Amino acid sequence: MNETISTFMTEDHRHCDRLLAVFEHAVERGDWEQAGGSGQELKTALLNHFAREEDRLFPQLLAVEARAGGPVNVMTMEHRQMRVLLNDLEQAIGARDRDACLGLVETLHFLNQQHNAKEEGILYPLADQGLAAQMGGILQQLRAG
Amino acid sequence: MIDTRGLSLAQAPPFHVPARFFLTAPFFALLAGILLLWEGPASLASRWLPLALAATHLITIGYLGLLMCGALLQLLPVVLGAPVPAVRWVGNLTHPLLGLGALLLAGGLGFGLPWSLASGAMASAMGFLVFLFPVALALWRAQGEPGTRRALRAAVLALLATLLLGLLLSAFLLGLIPLDDFTHWANAHLLWGLLGWVGLLVIGVAIQVIPLFYVTPPYPARVRAWLGPTLLVLILLASLAEVRGWGLTATLAQGLATGAFVFFALLSLRLLAQRGRRRLDPTLLHWLVALLAVIAAALAWALQAPSALIGILLLVGLGVGLPAGMLFKILPFLAWFHLQHRQIATGRFDLRIPHMGSLLPLGWARLQFGLHLLALLLAVATIFLPVLARPAGLALVLAALVLEGLLVRVVLAYWRASRALTLPL
Ligand SMILES: [Fe+2]
Ligand SMILES: [Fe+2]
Repeated sequence: MNETISTFMTEDHRHCDRLLAVFEHAVERGDWEQAGGSGQELKTALLNHFAREEDRLFPQLLAVEARAGGPVNVMTMEHRQMRVLLNDLEQAIGARDRDACLGLVETLHFLNQQHNAKEEGILYPLADQGLAAQMGGILQQLRAG
Repeated sequence: MIDTRGLSLAQAPPFHVPARFFLTAPFFALLAGILLLWEGPASLASRWLPLALAATHLITIGYLGLLMCGALLQLLPVVLGAPVPAVRWVGNLTHPLLGLGALLLAGGLGFGLPWSLASGAMASAMGFLVFLFPVALALWRAQGEPGTRRALRAAVLALLATLLLGLLLSAFLLGLIPLDDFTHWANAHLLWGLLGWVGLLVIGVAIQVIPLFYVTPPYPARVRAWLGPTLLVLILLASLAEVRGWGLTATLAQGLATGAFVFFALLSLRLLAQRGRRRLDPTLLHWLVALLAVIAAALAWALQAPSALIGILLLVGLGVGLPAGMLFKILPFLAWFHLQHRQIATGRFDLRIPHMGSLLPLGWARLQFGLHLLALLLAVATIFLPVLARPAGLALVLAALVLEGLLVRVVLAYWRASRALTLPL
């Protein structure tokens, strides 16, 4: 199957999911050494993903598809909410607060899942359609970051 | 053409719409437990006993009906990008109609009161109909995972069939129409209700939610696409054969449908064994017990065990347990989600929104699961040792009370935080 915006970005979602699972498992075991490292990895991966969308994908999509305006605003706002959760999580890791870590990671995961479902179900297909002509170049930009 | 309406925030119903359904539902599981406590050893001797019928409808219409309708009104816009038209109105009408309908129907069936049966059947039917049409319209426009869409559409059709058959049975019991063989029609009603509405809804939700919640591999594409429609055809065939008295066809179709559910349960258990999030949270425990109860019910059917045993496994193991487990995640997330939006609206970023773990403490949720498991085991044992009926009833009552306590706690925390966010700095 040819790589599309959908397949590439969806795989990036799954990658973040796996990092979250590794982090959560470390917290649950009480392995704070590992939790610190995998928490950082999760944060970096998610922030990179948001940047791919906000800096590269969304602006190009908005240029060709006016109907994407509302959805892009919602997605960007949810990114902001997840950034706040990631900061709270970093503090909880620093304080070695197990319950706060687990509660925050649960909230982050739930928010992220319903966010991803909307992107994968609506926004990425819209991008695959609207940006079909520039697909190669966009994929290259997405891969670069 | 890709529809972007589902992504507008204004489409998500306000917190109080689903919350009202969720807060009311546990009282009906509580009432079913009280019936068991009150009637004692005789209550589960047969599925035809008046009080067993009353308890069944308290659980299916009062508890399950309210929870599933409340959850669908919330989940359709989020998961399938399909906002339900006039959602406030649907909520305002369906919620009291189903609650009242369940009470009156249970009263009519349990205590032989014709006026109660008639008004209960009408109220329940109206409650479901008011819900069915807007939801069918939303599902028609839905996007996202096609397997979930198909299974949910099939579930909605099954609900309609269950409801029409239920009205027919009530009319017969009230002496309004003759029926050659009441048992066969009652079996068809039960097939559509349990395997159709409940079973298909569980499949539609599982396909979407298990991989998301627990980071498992996805269900195979062919299973996602075809399991729902196949089951719908099998249930149609089984119920048709049941009312026409084609014994062999009925058994065959039921056997195939049962086999399909066992396959689905085993597949789900295998996916869960491969899950990325290793954490054994109370929601996952409820899923595991519900899936095992489905397999046990199928075995009981194959071994021609008493139908009351199959009923207990499906109604309590799957029907009472699984939605409780789902609420442990859905309600705190909704509270958090709405609080976030309030925070953005009021700009009170100095306040911290409580996260899901502090809105619903998992220790209490684990206790709820333990009480539920105890109730299930005792109720199953009651089939062989009738004297256990009262302890089983008591465990059901306690599990329902703890569930209600947890839900009330989430809503109170929501109100408190919501008020703090609205106060001026
Ligand atoms: Fe995003
Ligand atoms: Fe994304």
